[in-house]
Amino acid sequence: MSHGHSDPIHHPEVQMATNRNYITGFVVSSLLMLAATILVDGHILPSFGLLLAIIGCAGIAIIAQVYFLLHIDISEHNIWNTVALVMFIPLFIITIGLTWWMFSQLYMRTMPMIPGMPGMH
Amino acid sequence: MHAQDKVVDPNEVVLWSDDYEGHDVISTRTFGFWMYVLSDGMLFATLFAAYGVLSYSHSYYTGPTPAQFVAPWYTFIQTMALFLSVLAYGFAMTALKSGSKAGVVNGIIASILLGGVFLGLNIHDVLRMISIGVTPETSGGLSAFYALTQVHAAHIFIGLIWMLVMLYQIMRQGFTEDTVGRLISLRMFWQFQAVMWVFIYIFVYLWGYMS
Repeated sequence: MSHGHSDPIHHPEVQMATNRNYITGFVVSSLLMLAATILVDGHILPSFGLLLAIIGCAGIAIIAQVYFLLHIDISEHNIWNTVALVMFIPLFIITIGLTWWMFSQLYMRTMPMIPGMPGMH
Repeated sequence: MHAQDKVVDPNEVVLWSDDYEGHDVISTRTFGFWMYVLSDGMLFATLFAAYGVLSYSHSYYTGPTPAQFVAPWYTFIQTMALFLSVLAYGFAMTALKSGSKAGVVNGIIASILLGGVFLGLNIHDVLRMISIGVTPETSGGLSAFYALTQVHAAHIFIGLIWMLVMLYQIMRQGFTEDTVGRLISLRMFWQFQAVMWVFIYIFVYLWGYMS
């Protein structure tokens, strides 16, 4: 990875920026957010279907942003950023998923039903 | 006597070369900053976990739930302001490819203005919620809601300050290895806030509104 010391403008990290990628990432994620907002605002789908639909919108929008904006791909220059992200994903899943699962089990087994208090779901 | 049997003399051994060709400050800093961005993601992950366990209906006790105070279309406009701000910063980075100072400065100014719109809408929304009695101390659920959304807003605020600093440095120093490296770090920071906002908008605002 020898890029010389001459001009920082010629560094591949600078030169990999393209308007086309940035516009694609913007358009894709904006349309998905618009779709999710319309679906939720109109209650067009039944509850569970609606949940799956907006999770899909979020998932695709995030992949689009990570790929088109943050340049996370398998090119020679970016591969280590990609590896680092892949290593972090299990940590995100464990932090959020395991905590949520633990507490949902805890609530289910320990929370008494208090009269006048809203129930568990 | 084999070469590896020789005793290494600490006064003579050369451990590294000063002019190693592969030494690449911008790539090293960019990777380091990406590590920071991912650990910032862990910070958000803990807040999402807290919101996840505090968004059951009993978490709000008898107080208001997001279904009663979230305005989806208002927050959608916020979303567009942030995405456009990220796009404007992208245009600044493309202008940097040809070394166009005017292009970079204009892109960053547009990004600051749109980021300011996002922050202004957020502050207005918080004031509206407080005026109708939706305050962080009302319930555990609302505390988690405010912590998550306002930590994100604080990131936006820091990003705007960073952009102002970069405008000043570009004017004073031009495109040196330092300023270009910082522009790249700021690009990752700013785009990452858009990624986090997708999670917040979908899983906190929209999901909260529909349940």
